[in-house]
Amino acid sequence: MILKSFALYIIIGITGIITFIIGYSINDYYSTDRTPVQPIEFSHQIHAGTNEIPCKYCHIYTERSRHAGVPSVQRCMGCHSIIKTESPLIEKLTSYWETKEPIPWVKVHNLPDYVYFPHKRHIRAGLDCKLCHGDIASMDRVTRVSSLQMGWCLNCHTQRGVKNGRDCWTCHQ
Amino acid sequence: MAGLLARIAERWNIHREPGFFKKLDHKWTMVIDLDKCNGCGACVTSCYAENNLPVVGKEECGVSRAFSWLRIERYVEGEYPDVKVKFIPVMCQHCSKAPCETGCPVYATYHNQDGLNVQVYNRCVGTFTCATYCTYDVRRFNWRTYKFEQPLDQQLNPDVSVREMGIMEKCTFCIQRIRAAKDKAKDEGKTVEDGDIQTACVQTCPTGAMTFGDLQDADSKVAKLAKSPRRYKLLEELNTDPSVIYLKRVMKEGPSKHG
Repeated sequence: MILKSFALYIIIGITGIITFIIGYSINDYYSTDRTPVQPIEFSHQIHAGTNEIPCKYCHIYTERSRHAGVPSVQRCMGCHSIIKTESPLIEKLTSYWETKEPIPWVKVHNLPDYVYFPHKRHIRAGLDCKLCHGDIASMDRVTRVSSLQMGWCLNCHTQRGVKNGRDCWTCHQ
Repeated sequence: MAGLLARIAERWNIHREPGFFKKLDHKWTMVIDLDKCNGCGACVTSCYAENNLPVVGKEECGVSRAFSWLRIERYVEGEYPDVKVKFIPVMCQHCSKAPCETGCPVYATYHNQDGLNVQVYNRCVGTFTCATYCTYDVRRFNWRTYKFEQPLDQQLNPDVSVREMGIMEKCTFCIQRIRAAKDKAKDEGKTVEDGDIQTACVQTCPTGAMTFGDLQDADSKVAKLAKSPRRYKLLEELNTDPSVIYLKRVMKEGPSKHG
């Protein structure tokens, strides 16, 4: 009887460990979607890659605000009221413009609310967008390259010798 | 083993060195002139608005779960016709030798380079140790996740996180405003000057009883006020070395005329 329950405990334990390992690895790579499907199949490859539009032309707030800012529909329409208006994707964009609705973009680089991350400070320090976002210009659909975990942030802060870069309240709120 | 002990002793000596706290970047200090304080409670209200504090309601208040980071203590001396009333606004004193910091098992409350006693919300596990150790009873605990109903969620401050159940919190000296001022100063290539930073309570105080500034800067308003002969700190004899300095209310001896 004792042996039987002992074997049972071992089986439960092993199953638990295996479930944990599988769940942990799945959670990191699949549950947190690194390449979400966007409402409009916007291609950074065409805009930033082939046409070489600088990042800050659309993401205008990078240098002066905490948030980089997703461009407004108006900014899209600035070009696309003239360029390629017959394309079905642009027609979708125009429908958003006509109904006066924002496009429900899915956030790729999503930080928790308790993280204070100012884009302004990082861009003004002379960091390249590629350092965190990867080579966006070659991505058709944007993929999150970096882990955005605390250790990843701190690595960079330590290497560059950021003043008070390891203080909790520099990045947490 | 001996090496480890030697290293611990060395670190200990660094922190016990008399000049240690003078090596800070800043020493944020608040001076409260009790002569000017009339106990109106505007500071309390502004604190609620600035720091996303939930209003818990009557029942919760009844079991002492009120959420005010800043409270006004009333002291009444004497019987009815000859009454003397004193008000003392009490918030986290940001003690230089804080008792709360010694208790935290996960290092969620610590002293930073600005001389602030800060609380890291996402690190806190809610052991309640700091609140037990606190001399001034200023720490507040989230007994539940308080909801901000429509349309109140629209007035939340985006610079301050909304805390959840099981997290200890307290006055931060409006660290988000300190950070914003530093950010602005950095853009302009300057350092933070006296008067750049106003905490919510300082900004709101109608009589100007509160002053906020850097004690290390000898020309600051705070440093001058701190030399006043009326200065005192709360429970100074416990040697917690608070960063909040009070200026004593001076009242005439004998019965008061205005009641």
